[in-house]
Amino acid sequence: MKITQHSSAGTLTLILDGELDASSSVLLDTELAKPETLQFQKVLINCKQLNYISSAGLGVFISHLQQFQDAGVKLVFFNMQDKVYNVFEILGLDTLMTIVPSEEEATAV
Amino acid sequence: MPFRQKLKAITFPLTVLSWLLLLLSTLSNTNGRAAEWLGGPWPEWVTLTAQAAFAAGAFIYQRGRPDPLHGNDFVGLLRRLLLGPGMLATACVGLHLLERLVQVKFPTDDQTFFACVYTVNLALFVVFLAYTNYSWRSLVLFRASPRVQRQWVWFEVLLGFTLLFRLLDWVPPHPFDYLIVGGLGIFGVYLSGNQQWVAYLNRRQKWEAVLLQIAIMLALAVFVAYFLRIRNDLKLVAPAPQHAFLLLNAFFGTFYAFMGLMVTIFNLPTAGVFEQKREEILSMQRLTQLIQKGQNEEEVYAMLFDSAVQTMDADAAWLTLEDNEGATTVQHYRVSQGQADEVQRLLQEYKLNHTEYLNNDLASTDGFRELHLPYNSLIVMPLRSAKRRYGALYMLKEHRFGFDRENLSILQTFASQTVLSIENLQLVHISLENQRVQEELKIASAVQDSLIPKDLPIDSWFDISSYAASAREVGGDFYDFLHLPGRQLAILIGDVSGKGVTAAFHVAQMKGIFHALMQENHLARSEREKFPVPSRFMTQANTALSRCLERSAFVTASLYIIDYENAGFVFARAGHCHTLYYHSIKEEVSYFQTAGLGLGIIRNDSYEKHIKNQFYDYNPGDVMVIYTDGIVEARNADQEEYGEQRLLDMLEQTFSLEADEIKEQILNDLAQFSAGQPMHDDQTLLVVKFKSSQPDTLN
Repeated sequence: MKITQHSSAGTLTLILDGELDASSSVLLDTELAKPETLQFQKVLINCKQLNYISSAGLGVFISHLQQFQDAGVKLVFFNMQDKVYNVFEILGLDTLMTIVPSEEEATAV
Repeated sequence: MPFRQKLKAITFPLTVLSWLLLLLSTLSNTNGRAAEWLGGPWPEWVTLTAQAAFAAGAFIYQRGRPDPLHGNDFVGLLRRLLLGPGMLATACVGLHLLERLVQVKFPTDDQTFFACVYTVNLALFVVFLAYTNYSWRSLVLFRASPRVQRQWVWFEVLLGFTLLFRLLDWVPPHPFDYLIVGGLGIFGVYLSGNQQWVAYLNRRQKWEAVLLQIAIMLALAVFVAYFLRIRNDLKLVAPAPQHAFLLLNAFFGTFYAFMGLMVTIFNLPTAGVFEQKREEILSMQRLTQLIQKGQNEEEVYAMLFDSAVQTMDADAAWLTLEDNEGATTVQHYRVSQGQADEVQRLLQEYKLNHTEYLNNDLASTDGFRELHLPYNSLIVMPLRSAKRRYGALYMLKEHRFGFDRENLSILQTFASQTVLSIENLQLVHISLENQRVQEELKIASAVQDSLIPKDLPIDSWFDISSYAASAREVGGDFYDFLHLPGRQLAILIGDVSGKGVTAAFHVAQMKGIFHALMQENHLARSEREKFPVPSRFMTQANTALSRCLERSAFVTASLYIIDYENAGFVFARAGHCHTLYYHSIKEEVSYFQTAGLGLGIIRNDSYEKHIKNQFYDYNPGDVMVIYTDGIVEARNADQEEYGEQRLLDMLEQTFSLEADEIKEQILNDLAQFSAGQPMHDDQTLLVVKFKSSQPDTLN
């Protein structure tokens, strides 16, 4: 798992590359738990290279969901592969989280 | 070797016989009555032959006896040598004095008694020489090379030849006789150089050896003095004995003892060094043995301290151990806590407290001079491994230059040995702890196993088959059944996020929630409301779980309530895998596509909006496949997932079979797919087949 990030004008973009499993989800959790993350208006997650997400990986997003909402930070996923989207959908997360097809739409949210 | 054994067996009697012959032949040459009675004088060659035979017999007999050296007990060998042959010497002196006394009291010209005493003493001398020289042989050949062993055999053979000198009435012409005897003497001197055994004695044993060797030389001197004294006695009737043989043997016996004495004396000053080395090796051995005995840490430290103090011969020492709070002194030797603290403080100031440090001249080091310690040499050896520091050993000596580089390397060995023992002990503790955890996991596994329903509901309406496997000792999957009144059956299946013990706790919790919520509500107004519908159940379960699940954990579940009186079922899917279904009417396999959010994701009342009930009227022959994600997410060697489509295909092929067989076919396919791959997640699979026979409704 590789996490790269860049930020611009109130938007933080995280690019996830690889498999988000129990061990790599710790890395992601550290990124999202940083206090400065909540300073952004929008956190975009680029899932183009995300091949797999385990329940631990989902747990990281779930645990930060409430916090983001409270702080008024929008969490948007984009470029998600079908099989990963399927996992979000089965769990019912597609109704709670904003998942859009492309980066343009994500920026527009 | 029968010949040798035979020879050995007859040596002793032959020796005794030859001595008797010697006695008689000597007596026959006296002027006493015995001579007349014996019809003497007998010819001289009889006496000489008897003498030679006796000497040869005594030496051969002694040669065949067991090695007098037992292991490395050199002092024991010398002591026995002094006790046995020493007694012979005493007997010799005693007999001589007795003979003198008799001569003074009853002066006589009769030579009989004198001849007897002489013959006995000659025998004693020969035995003494044989015993002594064969004891020396043990010492010469101790750890000797084969070359030295061969040399010794030559020495024996050549000495044996000198027995023949007088016997054959032939003496080598002058000066060859001197040359031969002198040459053999030099050979003996050369062999006397083999004194390796002295190195194996410690200081005390060396002193003992010196005294014993002096005593043995005295005993030899007694015999030599006796024979020199009576050589010119008028009463001596016997011909001169085999001088060359006895002389050479006496010379060798004395010279070897003398060389041994010298070597021992010159080795005395170095004995201390050898003993110190010995002590070091022994200390090292003791430390090593402690590891294997698995003693506790205190004992290992105490052992290190004692060994180090003893080996270094330190005048004062202390040992500190470090933990998270700092260093504490655990062992003292002739040093006060105050002095120890001051030295440590000083070393800390110099930032030397964690390194090896050797100072042989404390008086010329400013900081130490101000402490006014009565010591001049200091050595500090930290105890540390690659991972952490354990403590440090401090040793002091009064005189300057008390420690050298070698001391430092010995201490290093001690320190690393100690750290090794300590880490070994810790490893043993950890592995014991692991074993205990393993045992507890086994118990947990057994407990969880007991939570899984063993008896599947049996009815003529349907057919159920189940399969469950955990990836670890305890798992996060669960399923349960509950018969409800009014011909209803509740089936719960679910999966707790995460694996292992935490997940297992939540599984037990879910089972509790299931049984608690599925209680009959007696206040319900209608029959339908007596038991919560699946969506209501999920909402209540969500509330219950919200209070105890950690923030990143969630649970997926599906609850099915089958009403087989009305041939229908209702279910709610809380984020769990879709239900696979074979519709017999449409002859079609599909997944129920319903929405529903997992439990513990939203932790407030709004959850209600995210869960829905789905009603369906089933037909006989319908098949329902319920599973957890461990089934569809199982991977093959190419890291591809088994997937929903493949599962659907399997049901299309097998829907006509019994529930058990459908399950087996799916599992076989799954096993083939993921052959050789480790199991990543828990797997649960339930197959429910609705039956056509409905005997109850027919009545």
